[in-house]
Amino acid sequence: MIPTFLRYFSFSIKVLICCLLSASLSFINTDTWASDQYDIVIYPGVGEKEISLNSLRSIFSMRQKTWPDGAKIRVFVLADDDELHQSVSKEILNVFPYQLRSMWDRLVFSGTGQAPIKVNSIDEMLVKVASTPGAIGYLWRAKINDTVNVLQIK
Amino acid sequence: MIQLTCSRLSSYRIVTVTCPWGRALLLLLLTGGLSVQAQGIDQTHKKIESAQQSMPLLPTSELPAQAVESSMSTAKQKPNFFNKTVNWFRTKELPGDLQIHGFASQGYITTSDNDVFGNSDNGGSFGLTEAGLNVSVRPLPKLQLSAQVLSRRAGKGNSGMPRLDYAILDYQLYSYDANQYGIRIGRLKNPFGFYNETRDVAHTRPSILLPQSIYFDRTRNLGLSGDSVQLYGETAIGNLGTFSTQFGVWWPIVSDRDTEVSLIAPGPSGHLKREASYIGRGIFETNDKRLRLGISGIWLNTSYDPQGAIDPIRAGSLQFTPIYFSAQYNAERWSITSEYALRHFKYGHTFGDTMLLNKADFFGESYYVQGEYRFTPKWEAFIRYDVLYTDRSDRSGKEFAAEMLAQHKLEIAPHSRFAKDITVGLRWNVTPEFMLRAEYHRVNGTGWLSRLDNTPAEGPTSQHWDLYAIQASYRF
Repeated sequence: MIPTFLRYFSFSIKVLICCLLSASLSFINTDTWASDQYDIVIYPGVGEKEISLNSLRSIFSMRQKTWPDGAKIRVFVLADDDELHQSVSKEILNVFPYQLRSMWDRLVFSGTGQAPIKVNSIDEMLVKVASTPGAIGYLWRAKINDTVNVLQIK
Repeated sequence: MIQLTCSRLSSYRIVTVTCPWGRALLLLLLTGGLSVQAQGIDQTHKKIESAQQSMPLLPTSELPAQAVESSMSTAKQKPNFFNKTVNWFRTKELPGDLQIHGFASQGYITTSDNDVFGNSDNGGSFGLTEAGLNVSVRPLPKLQLSAQVLSRRAGKGNSGMPRLDYAILDYQLYSYDANQYGIRIGRLKNPFGFYNETRDVAHTRPSILLPQSIYFDRTRNLGLSGDSVQLYGETAIGNLGTFSTQFGVWWPIVSDRDTEVSLIAPGPSGHLKREASYIGRGIFETNDKRLRLGISGIWLNTSYDPQGAIDPIRAGSLQFTPIYFSAQYNAERWSITSEYALRHFKYGHTFGDTMLLNKADFFGESYYVQGEYRFTPKWEAFIRYDVLYTDRSDRSGKEFAAEMLAQHKLEIAPHSRFAKDITVGLRWNVTPEFMLRAEYHRVNGTGWLSRLDNTPAEGPTSQHWDLYAIQASYRF
């Protein structure tokens, strides 16, 4: 019984790798569309103009805790089921919202990190990112004004 | 021989007694009924909301628009003190980025035979209660302090007495782009497998009971956390993904009754001593977190300190060196998770060999395969097959039973040396904070049953048994 199981297991690994490859191919051209609708925004005092995608992922995973100048990063997010949150996580960060949630839960309940700060609306997001030193968040383009800076993805 | 007939008899008994099935059906119907009711409430809420949204379209010349707006917003926010407080914590700027989180869960477990977390085979038990509260603060950009207090009431092994679960000083030594390296000192959660660090938080578990072959609940206090110094690092591997690792030295918490009984023998009067042990884990994740692969290892050292000359168990030492392989694939709707463990036990100085109920050197083996499916963000289901062999060279346990009978005149049930558990379950995320779930286990073997909850005085254990559980959990 066990060898059959192992054979099945190695087969499923192969299937998984195939799935993974096709999935990564299908995600190639989503970024360009995404930036037409919304942007990553930061507190104006943060000196950064652009950021690598890896670094952005690390920030929203709550792993990277400081900006390159050593200042604290403070991450703001909308609710898991919010449309903008879903777009940003799927299209820019390339992860499903439930995966972000489980990453944050692991950090919070193992004591190895903190959760992002939740805001209840787009308007609150704008106010918080504009007024909190080191803040990073996201906004619909139509809502962005000169109280926040847009962070370009390299 | 007697044991064998006993277990066979009891397995017949399960077939004839249909009561547990009826009980489980009742439980499921109950949760189903609750869900229908709550959905009804949801719908009425939506109706009220939509009615209010259509209001401004009506000719309301006498009514100022602002008044309509304010009545809408008060209808949306529930006038609930608790929710308000939680929301205040979430949104309020607290000094030093202070965060407070917590959870509380209550389970109800009923079994056809054998006891799990209380007298579960006689009318069921509310014996599984878990609650925790944690605080974290970042006084400096690279420094985080955090601590959690945990209370767990589960059978005779856990009384519910609050204990310090973790207290950590975390300093990030180097950070560039997606590469982070740092050090953690204090009482740390043990990093092994995918679930160990957050095993008490129902929301982070795939099921009410974690796969027991890997995440034993009876030696949980040993495996859960320890006083430790660990280094951690995370690095980006090109555009493929990230590799994160943590490893260090730890002093395990072995002064715990359930652990002592499990590792040595029933009723030791002395205690296990803690000695320097080592732990480490590496996890590779693709950038989209779809594929996660992990490997973890523990090198645990402990020794037994007999209670003077009268203790029938002599001084001895135990080296426990398990290795864990973990793999997970996550799609939008479904996830597949599998973990495999090879557990090496090595007992030294024999513990005065007559009382030791284990071989001196053996390998245990465990694995599970689990599939989860998310019908909607609110409804999830899972199925799992979980296997444990206490000794992989004697999977049926018969050799061990024969040996114990021949050498020590002790009758050991062969089925206490393995467990095969098929589980199905349903999870309902009522709100992001509140969750309900139900699950059913069909188990062959008693390899992971707590020996404190199933003492020989209560009679022999049954080889084939069913377990039904429901659980409600809140977290913030």
